[in-house]
Amino acid sequence: MKRAFQNLLPALTGAGLLHTALFTDLYLRYVKAGLRPLLIASGALLLLLALTSAATSAGRRPDDHGHGHPDGHGHDHTGTPRVAWLLLLPALSLLWYAPPALGAYTAARANDKPVTVQRGFAPLPATSPLPLTLTEFTKRVRQDRGLAIKGRTVRLTGFVTPAGRDGGWYLTRIVFSCCAADSQTVRVRMYGTPAPPADTWLSVTGAWHPSGTLGTATAQAALDVRDARPIAPPVNAYTDDLPLTPSS
Amino acid sequence: MEKTDDPAGAARGVTAVPAVPAAPPVTEGRTRPSGVRSWPSGVRPWWVGAVLTAAVGAAAVLGPAGTRWLEHPAVEAWRTVCLAITLQALPFLLLGTALSGAINAFVPAGLFTRVLPKRPALAVPVAGAAGAVLPGCECASVPVASSLIRRGVPPAAAFAFLLSAPAVNPVVLTATAVAFPGNPAMVAARLLASLGTAAVMGWLWLWLGKEEWLRPLLRHRHTGHRPGHSRRTEFLLGFRHDFLHAGGFLVLGAMAAATFNVTVPGAVLDTFSGSPWLSVLFLAGLAVLLAVCSEADAFVAASLTGFSPTARLAFLVVGPMVDLKLIALQAGTFGRAFAWRFCTATTVVAVAASVLIGGALW
Repeated sequence: MKRAFQNLLPALTGAGLLHTALFTDLYLRYVKAGLRPLLIASGALLLLLALTSAATSAGRRPDDHGHGHPDGHGHDHTGTPRVAWLLLLPALSLLWYAPPALGAYTAARANDKPVTVQRGFAPLPATSPLPLTLTEFTKRVRQDRGLAIKGRTVRLTGFVTPAGRDGGWYLTRIVFSCCAADSQTVRVRMYGTPAPPADTWLSVTGAWHPSGTLGTATAQAALDVRDARPIAPPVNAYTDDLPLTPSS
Repeated sequence: MEKTDDPAGAARGVTAVPAVPAAPPVTEGRTRPSGVRSWPSGVRPWWVGAVLTAAVGAAAVLGPAGTRWLEHPAVEAWRTVCLAITLQALPFLLLGTALSGAINAFVPAGLFTRVLPKRPALAVPVAGAAGAVLPGCECASVPVASSLIRRGVPPAAAFAFLLSAPAVNPVVLTATAVAFPGNPAMVAARLLASLGTAAVMGWLWLWLGKEEWLRPLLRHRHTGHRPGHSRRTEFLLGFRHDFLHAGGFLVLGAMAAATFNVTVPGAVLDTFSGSPWLSVLFLAGLAVLLAVCSEADAFVAASLTGFSPTARLAFLVVGPMVDLKLIALQAGTFGRAFAWRFCTATTVVAVAASVLIGGALW
């Protein structure tokens, strides 16, 4: 019984890892895509460990296990340390009860991702509405001295984060560099429509909301919303990318 | 955002926190014949007591609401961050425990003592510099350092390795260079301050350290390969045990770090950025509480734009050496008496090293 249990923990953890990284895309809710091979390898290794040690211990007499020392300082590698049972939580959670990707709750509290300074902006394509990432839009509004964004209709995508008591809202994205523990927020303030429910993914069309001097740091990254329609959440929510397929 | 593919309804019964303390099974060792004690179990009664109390309290408060509270945005964010830290660290922890199991079972006794300088005071900086070869996060270095001690490496040298490995390896230094573009001084400062802290901590252990702070297993170095036992079996059993043990503590540390991550709003950060001294201490404390992986902490530091370079350097030096998940891992691996002394001293030395190097550079 005990022997079965001590192999159960590595087996469940391994199964959980394979489930999130190999058979589904759930891992993208927690860590970056580049970790996938490592997660799959870890899952396979843990399953292998559980199988081989089950096979090994099945072929041995039970009293081979504890190699005790008369001085009382012996140790025994066959027991399951009690703290190890905590591993059940992530394992079961990954298998059956995976929490969603971070959303409005975190976006409202996390630090803003600093927008890098860009020198020189290429002319904007002529398409209208023009798809832009939240970061690009912010740069165009606050750094582009050429004012290329002036009067243009743009399309931004992201999820809704309420701005506080005044009923305003932001279109936001959460990005991280390693895992969901170091998340940062990219946000653009939305004007002209009442706030949709938090965490709704939207494709928003509109033009810059005049506030401050365009092309300088006084300008606010804000949009007068003309049209907002729901879109499916992207598989990897932690990016500030353009949608791959037009969502109209 | 609403999850669509999540069979939440089917698994309402899987409660997160309260399930923890209900699980501890009978310890193996207690039922064994006298003299055959199990590996001293990592969880002391007070741990179990504290977790039980917290869980009962949480259940009493949240119980009436059923499992709805598991879907509260804050709880969901907590679960996500907790899983994220665990997932991010698991591969590196596995690497560390596999290495540690292999060192125990396959490396001949005396190899490390032959390679390292005879005088412990010299072995400390050598071991610290050797930390550069273990790629990965801090979680891998704890089990490896423990197995080094069990193989006869002087604890002072093993601790220098433990502290320097996650901070000075090429992966972490590259990430730092990427996060601070056009600022190679930050990479150099991190390397110097981390190596300095590791060496000072090793020497400090030689000067003041007492072996009885370490768990009995580490004091009596009779592990490793034993004649008459199959090396393969020893490796398997050691690997499995070390992984389960360290993995449990990793989850514990991840839960603590996620709690801070979710409850401390980012806006609090900016209130401390004005004062140069407070900001150094504040970012050092933040590094301990946030428990960001050492491969990622440079990006977090880069985002703390309101703070002085010295404060951010303190964040980068303290983070890989002391944080909540490392404290949990070290308490489990080396013993609690060791962990709190070592972590306190390391924090002080790391902050001092950052201030010295930062003051010289900026």
